[in-house]
Amino acid sequence: MIEIKNVSKTYGDQKAVNNLSLSISEGSVFGFLGPNGAGKTTTIKMLTGINSPDEGTVEIDGHSPEISSVREKIGFKPEEPHFYEYLTGLEFIKFAGDLFEQSYKKTEVEYLEIMKSAGIYDARDKIIKNYSKGMRQRLGFAQATVNNPEYIFLDEPLEGLDPIGRRELKDMIRRLRSQGKTIFFNSHILSDIEILCDKIGVIHRGELIYTGPVLEFCRGKSLEERFIEEVEGINNKS
Amino acid sequence: MRRIIVIAKNTFKETIRDRIMYGILIFSLLFLFSVTVIGSLSLGEDLFIIRSFGLAGIYLFGLIITLFLGASLIYKEVEFKTIYIILSKPIKDSEVILGKFFGLLTSIASTVGLMGLIYLSVVWFNGGGVDYGSILAMILQLFEFSIIISILILLSTFSSPIASTIYTIVIVYSGHLLTLMLNYSANLGGFQKYIVLGAYYLFPNLEKFNIRNLVVHNLNITQTEFILAMGYAIIYTSLALCLAHFVFQKKEF
Repeated sequence: MIEIKNVSKTYGDQKAVNNLSLSISEGSVFGFLGPNGAGKTTTIKMLTGINSPDEGTVEIDGHSPEISSVREKIGFKPEEPHFYEYLTGLEFIKFAGDLFEQSYKKTEVEYLEIMKSAGIYDARDKIIKNYSKGMRQRLGFAQATVNNPEYIFLDEPLEGLDPIGRRELKDMIRRLRSQGKTIFFNSHILSDIEILCDKIGVIHRGELIYTGPVLEFCRGKSLEERFIEEVEGINNKS
Repeated sequence: MRRIIVIAKNTFKETIRDRIMYGILIFSLLFLFSVTVIGSLSLGEDLFIIRSFGLAGIYLFGLIITLFLGASLIYKEVEFKTIYIILSKPIKDSEVILGKFFGLLTSIASTVGLMGLIYLSVVWFNGGGVDYGSILAMILQLFEFSIIISILILLSTFSSPIASTIYTIVIVYSGHLLTLMLNYSANLGGFQKYIVLGAYYLFPNLEKFNIRNLVVHNLNITQTEFILAMGYAIIYTSLALCLAHFVFQKKEF
């Protein structure tokens, strides 16, 4: 279970997240939406233990993600993932796996299996510098699942992918969901969120404006229409 | 410990494959071969010139490679956001800092080792036999580089690669002039004296690691001096890395 309680985070004068509270049950796919600069990435950084909240608490299974043992259960793919350019894809996946207590004993065959399921097996010995954007997204996805995590955080996982790549990654998300994984992802591509998520959270200017089932939010309209309506409504008020 | 090795291995692979580093290394190897020619131009002082230029060359190129690779070590991780991938894994900040340090030190040791092998072969072919003095000089150089790497890591946690490089060059330059500064401070009074003394105690005394002149003149360094220099390097490096860890821990990503 992911529990965010009254979390605030400020960078300089800018309040990136303001009094955010969220609860995400195990085994669900949660979509986190918001315009640029709304606080989505800041939230994901606090959920993965990269940064700490200034106020409030973030808990995964009742513990802070800043604790190492909690991060053992986490997988994270940053937005536009950058990698060590001079490593090969396989070397990078091994590196990512070796940082976990539970996966460092994995054999090369197991790592290759992970690459295969992410669709980058053929590029395993290629230097990452020569990877396309789509291949980098897949590599980011592969490293996020290298430890067989219970909780997977994906920051804009479908960005920069062609339609076939997007379909394949969506299939991967569905497959992980069927394995009982909890998936939290940020995306600008609302049609994908609509298809994949059980619940959504909408954040704007650091504040949560909605959390609940997708259908309840849409009220018969498309997610995109409703999202724009909500955000513009707030913008017009202020 | 295991995670430190994982980060160190990754840093080693990443740095050793850097094409710019290859360029510097190839240039340094050509230089080391060319010292034979420079030596042959002297009148009967071939070996003296070879050792003098060779050891200075290894130091200079080692320093350039250290500055080039070290100045962006942490900065690049933050700038290119690879740090997100590392910090979301079950790893401590201290393990990241130590892994980076040992990884880069291994890369520098490998390049100095390669340059050293070429240099020792050149000395041997010119009738100098196995040059044990030069081996000691290169070992001490590595200890000096360990201090420089730790300073670079500390600086790269909060400043850009260019700024880190400039600060480190100033520190290295001052670090080789500390004894002179101390002597100079005797002629100063009041506030100025305290500033010079402050710099003397703050900056690393890098002359402790410079036995190149002794080696080329066939003079020996005592075992105590050698051990004290190593101890000094270990303590200074540890302090700089502790400080780097402190800054890194406070950093928001």
